[in-house]
Amino acid sequence: MITNKGSSNSEAVMMEIEANKPTGNGMVVGGLSPLSETIWKEKTSSDMVGDVSARLAWKDLTVMVTLSNGETQNVLEGLTGYAEPGTFTALMGPSGSGKSTLLDALSSRLATNAFLSGNVFLNGRKTKLSFGTAAYVTQDDNLIGTLTVRETISYSARLRLPDKMAWSDKRALVESTIVEMGLQDCADTVIGNWHLRGISGGEKRRVSIALEILMRPRLLFLDEPTSGLDSASAFFVTQTLRGLSRDGRTVIASIHQPSSEVFELFDRLYLLSGGKTFFSQAGFPCPALRNPSDHFLRCINSDFDKVKATLKGSMKLRFEASDDPLEKVTTAEAIRALTDYYRTSQYCYLANEKVEEMSKVKGTVLDSGGSQASFLMQSCMLTKRSFVNMSRDFGYYWLRLVIYVLVTVCIGTIYLNVGTSYNSILARGACASFVFGFVTFMSIGGFPSFVEDMKVFQRERLNGHYGVTAFVISNTISAMPFLILITFISGTICYYMVRLHPGFVHYLFFVLCLYASVTVVESLMMAIASVVPNFLMGIIIGAGIQGIFMLVSGYFRLPNDIPKPVWRYPMSYISFHFWALQGQYQNDLKGLMFDNQTPDLPKIPGEYILEYVFQITVTRSKWIDLGIIFSMIIVYRIIFFVMIKINEDLTPWVRGYLARKRMKQKSGGGLNTTVAPYGLTQSPSLRTYVATDHRKR
Amino acid sequence: MSHNHHPTVAFKINAGPLPPHPSPQMEIEVSSFGGGGGGSHSGSRMAEHGGSNEGGGGGISMGPSPSMKERASYLVWQDLRVMLPNSGDGPTKRLLHGLNGFAEPGRIMAIMGPSGSGKSTLLDALAGRLSKNVVMAGDILLNGEKKKLTYGAVAYVTQEDILMGTLTVRETITYSAHLRLPPTLTKEEVQDTIEGTILEMGLEDCADRLIGNWHLRGISGGEKKRLSIALEILVRPRLMFLDEPTSGLDSASAFFVVQALKSVARDGRTVISSIHQPSGEVFALFDDLYLLSGGETVYFGEAKEAIEFFADSGFPCPIKRNPSDHFLRCINSDFDVVAATLKGSLRIQEKREESDPFMSLGTARIKATLVEKYRWSKYAIKARAKMKHLSAMRGPVTMPSTASQAAWWKQLDTLTRRSFVNMSRDMGYYWLRIIIYLVVSICVGTIFFDVGTGYTAILARGACGGFITGFMTFMSIGSFPSFIEDMKIFTRERLNGYYGVGVFILSNFLSSFPFLVAVSLVTGTITWNMVKFNHGFSRFAFYCLNLFGSIAVIESCMMIVAALVPNFLFGLVIGAGVLGVMMMTSGFFRQLPDLPKPFWRYPVSYINYGSWAIQGGYKNDLLNLVFDGLLPGDPKTTGKEVITKLFRLPLTHSKWWDLFAIYALLVIYRLTFFLVLKLKEKLLPILQSMYAKRTVHRLKRRASFIKFPSSRRYQNLRTLSAREGLGSPVP
Repeated sequence: MITNKGSSNSEAVMMEIEANKPTGNGMVVGGLSPLSETIWKEKTSSDMVGDVSARLAWKDLTVMVTLSNGETQNVLEGLTGYAEPGTFTALMGPSGSGKSTLLDALSSRLATNAFLSGNVFLNGRKTKLSFGTAAYVTQDDNLIGTLTVRETISYSARLRLPDKMAWSDKRALVESTIVEMGLQDCADTVIGNWHLRGISGGEKRRVSIALEILMRPRLLFLDEPTSGLDSASAFFVTQTLRGLSRDGRTVIASIHQPSSEVFELFDRLYLLSGGKTFFSQAGFPCPALRNPSDHFLRCINSDFDKVKATLKGSMKLRFEASDDPLEKVTTAEAIRALTDYYRTSQYCYLANEKVEEMSKVKGTVLDSGGSQASFLMQSCMLTKRSFVNMSRDFGYYWLRLVIYVLVTVCIGTIYLNVGTSYNSILARGACASFVFGFVTFMSIGGFPSFVEDMKVFQRERLNGHYGVTAFVISNTISAMPFLILITFISGTICYYMVRLHPGFVHYLFFVLCLYASVTVVESLMMAIASVVPNFLMGIIIGAGIQGIFMLVSGYFRLPNDIPKPVWRYPMSYISFHFWALQGQYQNDLKGLMFDNQTPDLPKIPGEYILEYVFQITVTRSKWIDLGIIFSMIIVYRIIFFVMIKINEDLTPWVRGYLARKRMKQKSGGGLNTTVAPYGLTQSPSLRTYVATDHRKR
Repeated sequence: MSHNHHPTVAFKINAGPLPPHPSPQMEIEVSSFGGGGGGSHSGSRMAEHGGSNEGGGGGISMGPSPSMKERASYLVWQDLRVMLPNSGDGPTKRLLHGLNGFAEPGRIMAIMGPSGSGKSTLLDALAGRLSKNVVMAGDILLNGEKKKLTYGAVAYVTQEDILMGTLTVRETITYSAHLRLPPTLTKEEVQDTIEGTILEMGLEDCADRLIGNWHLRGISGGEKKRLSIALEILVRPRLMFLDEPTSGLDSASAFFVVQALKSVARDGRTVISSIHQPSGEVFALFDDLYLLSGGETVYFGEAKEAIEFFADSGFPCPIKRNPSDHFLRCINSDFDVVAATLKGSLRIQEKREESDPFMSLGTARIKATLVEKYRWSKYAIKARAKMKHLSAMRGPVTMPSTASQAAWWKQLDTLTRRSFVNMSRDMGYYWLRIIIYLVVSICVGTIFFDVGTGYTAILARGACGGFITGFMTFMSIGSFPSFIEDMKIFTRERLNGYYGVGVFILSNFLSSFPFLVAVSLVTGTITWNMVKFNHGFSRFAFYCLNLFGSIAVIESCMMIVAALVPNFLFGLVIGAGVLGVMMMTSGFFRQLPDLPKPFWRYPVSYINYGSWAIQGGYKNDLLNLVFDGLLPGDPKTTGKEVITKLFRLPLTHSKWWDLFAIYALLVIYRLTFFLVLKLKEKLLPILQSMYAKRTVHRLKRRASFIKFPSSRRYQNLRTLSAREGLGSPVP
C-alpha cells in the first residue's frame, strides 16, 4: 500500500523512477559517501560481504492491544506495504493513527501486551528482527550530556566494533560518520545537559542517528526524527536520512507534520489514519497554496471533526465559508471515501504486486548488527566513558564533594577537639553516628545523575550495544576514584578536627569505613534507581530505607534493647550503619581512658564503655566489621544486576502472559470487542505503553 | 446565552471615561463588527478580508456592544530598537533594528520569523515584559499616547502553561475569576462570565476534567493552551499578547487554538501572537503578518498580500507549498548553514538547485533583497500612512489593568481554598508524606516499644525524642517538588498582578494547616502510645503541639529554600544541608553546653527549632519520672537529675516557654519568607537595570554605538532550564 506522493500521474511515475534508481547509477554514486561502504567491507571479515541490502515487506499486518480492563483494540488493521533499499519511506498520519505502532511492529519492538498477526518479510524470509539487527532511533535523545559529539561517537564505535579492527580504521569510520551526518562543525562541542549549554536539538538528533548508523545497518527505523525541531534542523535531518538511503539502505521514518521542504525529500509516503492506509486522491485535490502533507493530514485527521463540532457548539466562533470540499464533509466520510478509492486504485494493485514479489524472492539473511567488541573491551570503554562523564558532570560528584567538605567542616567545628572528658564519651558516639548516618545520607544528591545514566543504559541496551554485566562493572570501577577522593578529603577533615583516636591505623580505618559506607549507599541507590519509575519515588524510598537502617544501627537504641523479632534479627544485621558503628566505636574508644563524672573517681577505660555503655561486641575485630561492609557492596551490586535482569526478562514476560490470559477470557465470553474501524477515532497510541515499559526496564 | 453578559461585565470592569472624541476610523471599525455580515473595514486593503472572514458566521456572530468602542486599543510602535548589552567589553547584541508597525482591534497579528529572529523580543518589548538587562529605544504608542505597559497591564500568555495540575478546568477558571473580578459583581454575573469564557474557548467538553501533572493524566496540550488563554480573557483585556501559542501542538489543536484566538479578536480586541511554523490552515486564520528576520522587518501588512509581495520581489511561492513555509524558507539563514555543511560532507544535494532556482542564492541575500524591496513597497507606504494616522489619534487614555480588582480577604479566601484543593488532590504533596510518617512512626514505636524506666531507658528516651524531632521532620523534603510547582504558579500569577505576597504566604499556611495537624496527630498518637511516654493528657497535648510546631517551622524553612534555589536538585541538596545543620545543633548529637560558642551556640542553636523542641520534649517527658540505677543495688535517678546532669539542659524556664519559642520561630520564618519574596521581586530588577544602564552609559561614549555587529542568533533571554522544561528533573 505504498503510494507515491504527488497528485498527478505523470509526476508520480517520475518520482517512482527516481526512487527506484539502481544503486549503481551515476547519480546515486555521487551521493554515496566513499567511506561508508568501503571501509566496512574491506576491513572486516568476509562474511559481511555480499548482498547486504534489506528488502522489507509486510502483509496483512494487524496489531491488537489488550487494555488494562481486558478490552482489546485493533491499533493497526490489515496493513500491507514494502520498503526497498535505496528509498526513504515516510509514515505519516495524525497523532494516534498508529505510526509508531507500525514502526514498532516492523522492528519487533512491540510492547508485550500487543499482539501481531500478519507477516513481516525481510529479504523474503519471515523474520523477527531482534535487537540490533535493524537500527532504531527513538524519539528522545538519551545521550551523555558531558561528552563531545566526537567522543560520543567514538566511544560508541569502540564499544561495538570488533577488537581486531585497527584503531586507525575505527577512527576513520568515526570521522566518516561525523562527516556523513554533517556534524563536523559541532564535533568538539559538548552535547549539553540541564546545566550545560550544548548543541542544538537538531544536532542532538543527528548524533543519535550517527550512533545507529555507525555499524552501517542496512535497515534503519526512525521514530519521529523531526519532532521538536525547527524547520532548518528538520530539513537537515531529513536530508541526511535521504542521503543515507541513497547508499542503498532502507530507511523508514514516522513523521509528524513535515514542512514543505521536508516533505519534498521523501521517496515514498505511507499514510495512516486510525490504523488504515489511505491515498489522498479521491476528490480531495490539494489547494494550490498548501503543503500536500498538511493537506493529507487535514483530510484524514478526525480530530478536526471534533474541533469543528466544538466550535459550532460554542456559537461564539464564526466559521468562515470556503470552497474547500473538506468543509462540507466530515473527516470520517473523507477517510472512508479515500480508503475505498485507494483499495480499487492502481496504486494499491501495484503495491500488492510488489509485496507479493518481494515476499517470494529470497535474499541473504542479515546478520545481527549487535556489538562485536569483546566483553573486556566493552567494560574498559564503558569505564572510561563513565569516568569522563563523572569528571565533567558537576552534579555527579563535584557538587557532592563541596557539600561533604562543608558538612564535615561543620561537624569538625562542632566536635572540635573532643578530648577525653566524661562528656566526650557520648559526644564521640554521637559524632560517629552523625558521620555515618547523615554524611552517607547526602549520597542521595547523586540520584538524578544515576537516573540519567540508567536512561542512556536502557537505550544502548535495547540496541544491543553491551551487556548488563559490563555496565555494572564499569559503573563500579569508574565511581571508585571519586568516592575515594570524597571520602578521604572529608574523612581527613573530620578526623583531624575532631581529633579522634590518634594513630595512622585508626585514621586509615576511619576513612576506609567511611568509603565503604558511602559506596554501600551508592550501590543501594543504584539498585533503587533500577526499580523505581521516577526520581521522587527513588529519593523517598532511599531516604526511608536509610532512616530505618539508622534507627537500628545501635545508636538510637542500644543493640541489646532493640526488639529481637524483626529489628534485631535480621534488620540490624542488614543495616550497614550497624557494622560501621560497631567498627568505628572499637576503633575510636579502645585504648583510651576517660575522666569520670567527678575528678576523684577513677578513670573509665574505653573497653568498659564499649561493653557496657554502647553494648558493642568487643570480641570481634573491627576489621571483620569493615570486611562485612565491603562484602555488602558486592551484595548490593549483585542485587542491582539481578534487578536489571528481572526488569528486562521477567517483567515483559509477565505482562505478556497476563495480556494473553485476559484475551483468552475475553474470547471465551464472545468475540473480541474490536472497535469498529470507522468509529476508531483516537486509537490509543502504543507509545504510552512502550514508554512506561522502557522506563521500567 | 450567557454571552449577553459579557459586554455588561466588561463595561462594569472598565467603567472608565468615554473617549473624548473618537476618531472616524474607529467608528467605521465598530460598525463593521456590529453588522456581522457584509461589513467591511475601511481602506482598500481591508475589503477582501472583511468579506471573507465575516461572511460565514454572520448569523451567530456576536457583535460587540457599544461598550467595545471605548475599549478599542490601537498599538503603534515606531523605530523600535532593542539591544542586549554584553557582559564585559564584548559587542552589544542588537536584537531589533528600528521596527515600525501597528496593531488594530478586531484583528489578529502573527509575528513570524525563523528561530532567533527576534519574535519573542518584539512581543516582549510591546508588552513591556523585556527583561531588565535589555535596553529598549523607540516609541510604543497606545491609542496615540506614549504609555508604558508593564506586567499586569495587558494580557500576556506565555509559551509555558503553568497551571495547577490537580484542579479541573472549570475550577481553575472559577478560582481565577474569584481572585481577580471586582467584588461589585453579583454571583450570577461571575458565574456567567466563567461559563461564557469556557464556552468561548471551546472548553466545555473538558470543563470537568483534571488538568494533570506528572503523575496524573489530564487534558491535552491544546486544551491547556486554550485554558491559559481563557484565564487571560476573563477580565476582558483590550490587548492580548501570546508567545508561540501553537508550539508543541498537533495540527488540529493548533488550529483550534488559533481559531479561538480569532474569535477573541473579533470581539474588538487587539491580538498579537508570535508563531513558529504554522501549518497552512493555521496561517490562513491570521489577518496581519509581521515577518522578521535577524531583527529586521521583511514584511508587514495583510497576511494574504504577503504572497503577492514575495512574488513581486522575485520569490514566488511554489505551487503545493504553504506560504508560511515558503516565507520562512526564504529568510531562514540557518538553511545557508545547512547547505554549507551538506556540501562539506560530500553529500551535495542531487538536483535541488533545479527545482528551486532562487534557492541557489543563499538566504542571506534573499533576505537582504526582501528587506530592501519591502522598504519601498506599496505595503510599507500604506503601513506608514496608517501609522501616522493612528499615532495622531487620541483614544481613551485609561488603561484598565488586568490585575486583580478583588478585595484582599476575597483573594485570601479563594487562594486558600484553591491551595487546599490542590494539596488534598496531589498525592505527592501531603498524602504520601502522611503514609511515610505512619510507617516511620510504627517503626519507631516498635523499636522503642514500652520503653520503661530501666537504666538504659534514660538514653533510649532521649534518643527517641531526638529521632522524632530530627528525622521525622526531615521527611518534609519529600514535598519539595510540590513546593517548587507552587512557587512557579505564584511567580506567574504575581507577575500578572493577581495577588500580593502576603496573601500568598498566609493562604499557603492556612491551607496546609489541616494537613500538618493530621500529620502531627497521627505521628504523635502512634509514637506516644507505643513508646509509652510519660502519661497524662496535658503531656500528650504538649507532645503533639511540639511536633506540629516543629513540622510547621521546617515547612516554612523549606519554602524559603524553594524560593531561593533555581531548581529541584539544588533545593534538595541545600535543604538537606540546612536540616543537617539544624539536627547537629539541636542539642542531641552534641549537648548544648559543649557546642562551640561563637557560631554554633549563638546564634545557630537559638534560631534552630530543634533545640527548643528537644528541651521542651525532655522536660515534658522526664520530669517527675524515676529511673533505675545502672546496677540493681544502685540508687535511683530522678528525671530532674537526668535532665540537668546527663543531658545538661537548664531547668530555669518551663516547657511552655520552649513551645512558645518554636511558635515564635514559625512566625519569624514566615516573615523571612515574605521578605525573601519581596526582596527577590524588588532587588533583582533593580540590579539588572543598574547593570544595563551602566553598560549603556559606557557604550554611549563610544562612537561606534550604532554600528555594532548584529548577531544572527542571540542568546535566549530565558534560562536554559526554563526553555527546555528542565526546571526540575522530575519527569
